[in-house]
Amino acid sequence: MISEERVRIMTKMSLYENRTGAQDLKIGNYYKKDYSSFHTLVTVLWVTVGYVIIAALAIVSNMDALMKNLTMNKMIFLVIVAVGGYLIILIAYVIGAGIFYKNKHNGAKRRLKQYYRNLSRLGKIYKKESR
Amino acid sequence: MSTILVWKEQVQTLYARYSTYIDKALKFILGLAVFGVINGNIGYMKIASSALVTIGLSAVCAFLPLTLMVVLASLLILAHLYSLSLAVMAVTAAIFIVMYIFYFRFTPKKAWLVLLTPVAFAFKVPYLIPVALGLVGTPVCVVPIACGTVVYYMLHYVHTSSAALKGGGTDGLITSLTTFAKQALVNKEMWIMAAAFTICLLVVYTIRRLSADHAWKIAIITGAILDIIVIAAGSMVLNVKISYGAVILGSILAVALGFVLEILFFSMNYTRTERVQFEDDEYYYYVKAVPKLALSAPKKQVTKINEHKDTAIIDTEDIKKVASKQAVPTPKRKQTASSNWQRQSADEILLTRSLNKELNERQSKK
Repeated sequence: MISEERVRIMTKMSLYENRTGAQDLKIGNYYKKDYSSFHTLVTVLWVTVGYVIIAALAIVSNMDALMKNLTMNKMIFLVIVAVGGYLIILIAYVIGAGIFYKNKHNGAKRRLKQYYRNLSRLGKIYKKESR
Repeated sequence: MSTILVWKEQVQTLYARYSTYIDKALKFILGLAVFGVINGNIGYMKIASSALVTIGLSAVCAFLPLTLMVVLASLLILAHLYSLSLAVMAVTAAIFIVMYIFYFRFTPKKAWLVLLTPVAFAFKVPYLIPVALGLVGTPVCVVPIACGTVVYYMLHYVHTSSAALKGGGTDGLITSLTTFAKQALVNKEMWIMAAAFTICLLVVYTIRRLSADHAWKIAIITGAILDIIVIAAGSMVLNVKISYGAVILGSILAVALGFVLEILFFSMNYTRTERVQFEDDEYYYYVKAVPKLALSAPKKQVTKINEHKDTAIIDTEDIKKVASKQAVPTPKRKQTASSNWQRQSADEILLTRSLNKELNERQSKK
């Protein structure tokens, strides 16, 4: 006989597995600190690449203005501005990414906990039915 | 209003029943619009710009996640730009990578919003986007809108100055690289639009979350007006020619769309607002409860289907002729009621007479 409760739990679990289950299981293998630190480091690398691209585009688009009257002082000033901009963006993204990935880990852990709870309930129902 | 609410219920019921097909159909339409706009404006690669490719890609995207539609649209743009000029393609690819690194890596599910803005621009109704997303989205939607605006103006520039960008040789490549990068990043109209949409979305979002009555209506109208003001001010300060007629018309359409969204997602009955105040150990609570406006759609249930019966056709002229020949019978007077009344009154007279007799007899005896 079909148990309604069993079907309900199985549907919930199946929906979860199809949506974010696989990703959550991957995240769940990490400790929160490890997961957050690793992805923040990846973000640092990506932001560096992105900043280099932006800087390159800015240089290319303003090539004429930059080459005009280019002195050593002006060049040092531009480098300081570029590095300053990079540091500001980097710090903002490091803080933001840290919070983002910690929240992501918390969410994944919470959903996994519910998933395992459903799994144990399902096991109990099967045991009850087999008696 | 009740009719609109019934329609809303009917639409919701219809969507709930056929959501799988409706979602796919909507994805297909979005795909047609996106790939059609791309191929129509910058279709420099002849193989990729055919109608067959547009329909084929749209059909494929209807069955795939929206994120993949973004990837395919980006690849199609790059393919067309490669046919035009390698430099233009390089700059565009660099801008796409920057967008991915700084935003879409974190929320890839919202990437499809980038497609909506250029499509809305192509259909001359970009002002709908910030109002609509301010009502149903979050402040984060500012980023995809701004990215979409950049993408549209980039493609628009390529479309209008394709001949100038098609430079041969190393010198031509460097010139087109510099020119395109400059135009892609220093387009004043683009920044005015991006700023106007950002401000509009944030204002609409902030106002619609207030607990004031008719917050959504106030948000929609304020957002649309602010959009017009920012664009007008920007065009005056930066000396950019923008058609005010199109801006005003677009904003009116945005208001209309906003009202439709309000009916769909936030219909409230403010006449029955209740204000409650209570407290616990830690807080005082001032609660405002506004009931939702909802009407259940009438369900037509066919319980019995009667057999079809033919009715005879009657000629009224014949009936009139027959009726005029026949004498109209005079109605018989109803006797029963009047006779009953007469009988009752006779009884009463007899009774009073006998009583009077008796009374007179008694009086005479005394």
